[in-house]
Amino acid sequence: MKQMIAATRRDPVLMGLWLSLLVFALIWFAPFVFIVFTSLKSSPEIMTSGAFTPPGALVTQNYATAWNRGGFDHAFFNSVFVTVIKVPLGLMIAALSAYALARMKNRWNKLVLLFIVFGTMIPFQVMLAPLFTLVNSLGLVDTYLGLILPYLAFGIPYQIFILHSFFKSVPKELSEAALIDGASHFTTFRRIFLPITLPVMAALLILDFVATWNEFAMALVILQDADKWTLPLGLMSFQGQFSNEYGQLNAAIVMTVLPAVLVYLIFQRYFVSGLTSGAVKG
Amino acid sequence: MTNSHRKTVLGRLLCAATLGAGALGALGTTGAMAQEIDIWTLNFSSEKANNALNAIAQEFEEANPGVDIIWTQRGVDELKTALRVSAGTDSGPDIFFSWAGLGLGGEYVAAGMSQPLDSYYDSYKWDDTLLPTAAAFASSYGDGHKHGVPFTFKGEAVYYNKALFEKAGITEEPTTYDALVAAAQALKDAGIPAFAFGGSVNWHVMRLMDVLLETECGAQTHDALVAMEANWSETPCATEAFAQMQMWGENYFLKPFMGIDQPQSFNLFVAGRAAMMLEGNWLVQQLNEVSDLDNYGLFAFPTGTDRLYGFAEYHYISAGADDPDMAAKFLDYFNSTDVQQRYLGAMTTNSVNADVVYENQLPLETEWNALFAQYDAMFVNGDQGFPASVTAEYFRVINQTATGDMTPQDAADALQSYIDNLG
Amino acid sequence: MTRLFDRMANAPWLFLAPALAVYAVFAIWPMIDVTLVSFQRWNGIDPTRDFVGLANYTYIFTQDPVFWTAFRNTLIWTALSLVFPPLAGLLLALALNQPLFGRATLRAVFYLPVIIAPIAVATMWRWMYDPFFGLFAQLLTNLGIGIPDFLGDPDLALYSVFIAYFWQQVGFSMVLFLAGLQSVDASLVEASQIDGAGRWNRFKHVTLPAITPTMTIVLVLSLIQSLKAFDIVYGLTGGGPSQSTQMLALWAFSQSMQVFDFGRGGAISVVLLVITVGVVIPYLRWSQRREEQLK
Repeated sequence: MKQMIAATRRDPVLMGLWLSLLVFALIWFAPFVFIVFTSLKSSPEIMTSGAFTPPGALVTQNYATAWNRGGFDHAFFNSVFVTVIKVPLGLMIAALSAYALARMKNRWNKLVLLFIVFGTMIPFQVMLAPLFTLVNSLGLVDTYLGLILPYLAFGIPYQIFILHSFFKSVPKELSEAALIDGASHFTTFRRIFLPITLPVMAALLILDFVATWNEFAMALVILQDADKWTLPLGLMSFQGQFSNEYGQLNAAIVMTVLPAVLVYLIFQRYFVSGLTSGAVKG
Repeated sequence: MTNSHRKTVLGRLLCAATLGAGALGALGTTGAMAQEIDIWTLNFSSEKANNALNAIAQEFEEANPGVDIIWTQRGVDELKTALRVSAGTDSGPDIFFSWAGLGLGGEYVAAGMSQPLDSYYDSYKWDDTLLPTAAAFASSYGDGHKHGVPFTFKGEAVYYNKALFEKAGITEEPTTYDALVAAAQALKDAGIPAFAFGGSVNWHVMRLMDVLLETECGAQTHDALVAMEANWSETPCATEAFAQMQMWGENYFLKPFMGIDQPQSFNLFVAGRAAMMLEGNWLVQQLNEVSDLDNYGLFAFPTGTDRLYGFAEYHYISAGADDPDMAAKFLDYFNSTDVQQRYLGAMTTNSVNADVVYENQLPLETEWNALFAQYDAMFVNGDQGFPASVTAEYFRVINQTATGDMTPQDAADALQSYIDNLG
Repeated sequence: MTRLFDRMANAPWLFLAPALAVYAVFAIWPMIDVTLVSFQRWNGIDPTRDFVGLANYTYIFTQDPVFWTAFRNTLIWTALSLVFPPLAGLLLALALNQPLFGRATLRAVFYLPVIIAPIAVATMWRWMYDPFFGLFAQLLTNLGIGIPDFLGDPDLALYSVFIAYFWQQVGFSMVLFLAGLQSVDASLVEASQIDGAGRWNRFKHVTLPAITPTMTIVLVLSLIQSLKAFDIVYGLTGGGPSQSTQMLALWAFSQSMQVFDFGRGGAISVVLLVITVGVVIPYLRWSQRREEQLK
């Protein structure tokens, strides 16, 4: 750190760079400040006080009111439930497949991999209507399962892709020794590969958590029943109904966004590695 | 392991997965112990309305042991989609709420989602107690059969800010269209925008177009246009209505209006930023919560016809209802004079039951009742008259005209060409 | 029993089955189904779907008043997404790759919007764009400038939505570029420094060649990301005013799920699908060749 400060001081170009970055960072961060401030103001105060004037008396009531009016208790539970089931389950079956594709003899491996990687690129936004028709024909509209299954389908391709390239890079000797000793592939996978994959798994877990937590479009078509809504749907509906209750609306935004922000701040370093391990190095 | 062996394993797995999915899905929908009447309705923003629904259900359940009334509430769009979804399955409701216009209730009736209620109309003598304006929609779309029972009916009219009218020197409520335009001009001269509209929700600005069509075309031609029997581009009054729309948008709206929605425009109206709003009778409650009702007046948009702008909401009994007799019994109870009288004001300020007596009303509610008494016919909102796809196009051309991005003739032509291309 | 278990524990298709099954049913089948329904007429209620040939395509190409707006907007949006977020991301990455004080915090600030739900970003920006009490209304009024109707002006709305999208996406490109920059050979940089090469020359001859693959990846991902733009438009304008911010994905959704014309909605989806596949296949081939070269 000291070196960095010294380097910055020595070089006028770096100094200028640093200052302009600081200005941009402040601009980038300003919306958050505005939202949090608004969420703590009363309606009259919002209309009269400046955007970046800190709230006078903290109107925390906005949060409680928004929580009750927007049915956020349901939405919160649903989001947590779907995420907690979907994310580990998806990673598990992705890891199994990635192992098979990387380490088990099968002449279709290459084709299967291509088939799956194709899925990482296809926007599900194109298929919302047929997805709905499908889930509906299975009688799964308004059910958790009806949401989790498509989430799995669109989440695993990327994970298989990343894990596959990781498993490929594991030295052959490691697994072959085990296999020669008579261990099955499943045992090798569980005893040898899973433990060394943990860092990558952690990165994928965090990324998938955020993606699942934030997903809106699929939930929009599959969950018609307000009691089953996840947070993004709750927020959208709240905006439609109470767009003139600015304080509460912003409180609702904060409540929706906060969990993802916290997860990000805690697991920051995994985000970067998760995003980049596949895309750039692979 | 042979190749065929592998196939069967995979096949069985797939089979099991599908079965499992089905079973889990079924778990969510079955489990009926008591006799359940599932009613799909709207989420009412008023807590009072939601409580009233539950209270009425409870009373009925007490009088009819073994019956369980379940209200399933959804937002506007969610309810529409949910009804579509349920149409092909048996997971549908026993009773469902819908707006009664051709594009909504009419479409469900046409699709066979509702069952004819003629026998119940006869046995319960509903026509003796229901207001004729409200009940008229029941016989509109069923090929001579009656479908649905009115739940509420709503009127839409012009609310105005008395102080702003006074400031602009307007002493009388406009009773002709020309007088209304003159009033808007007087307001403009005084620096006051005449109307507050929220353009981002398309149905809000649409209301002005609806009443302008009624004004320019008269009742008969307006109905023919909405029924898509008259040709929009060849009916001069339609183009003229679009021209008037453009004139209002250019001169007399609180701007900007396209970037805000209805609740925001309501805020601005309450804050005195605009003099008028074209709103329904449900606004009285909302207005009463945030402002003093004495500051506001009310008049029907002067269309020059003898029809009030508004619509009816209905309860339909599903074609696949488990026990239509019990469903009809509940609806009869719901609309009975006793229940309607006791819960008056909770769901709506005016009942579909003609025998209900009105007392202790808010000042604007009295005005509404006078309006309801004055008219015995209605014309409905465009988005209820048209099929959904035409509504989307109707929205688009209205917005383009209001913002001056489309000429009135082009708007009429575009709408007609869309109608011509309907699948 | 044990032997059966042993066999199962060594069967590749068994390992693949759960993922492949769910993927085939819920990702691949809808893609086939949307293509099927694009040749049919279906309103979501009728028990039958009638085959209508190319009627839906003829309709969207020649009659649909919004399709070409949506198409044009999708192109504009894609073009903007290919230029601005990657460019800004690259500049930020280059800057934040320098030994600067507090650079971890700065990186975090630019990355933070990426992890927020797009629908929440839309809600945030809708409030900031509020023409009466929003952030920009306040700032511009203070500066004495008239307030444009950011989301209500049909000529402006698309770009207002894009600014919100840009705010969110920059961090994504930045992180990818930062990772790419780690592959720049430090000894080469030092060598060129000793040779007295200027910053620009160093960038051109050492850094740029090293991050060219990253650049391709960022551009392709930005492209795919931009074709997916749905949540943010839905939340900010819903395609309005007067459909001026419609895009193919959203218009397909509206036709199917709001107007209940699944056939026409399907045809729009297929157009977008064809465009996407037209980009994806060459990219997949490129990356496969690259992988083989690396070996």
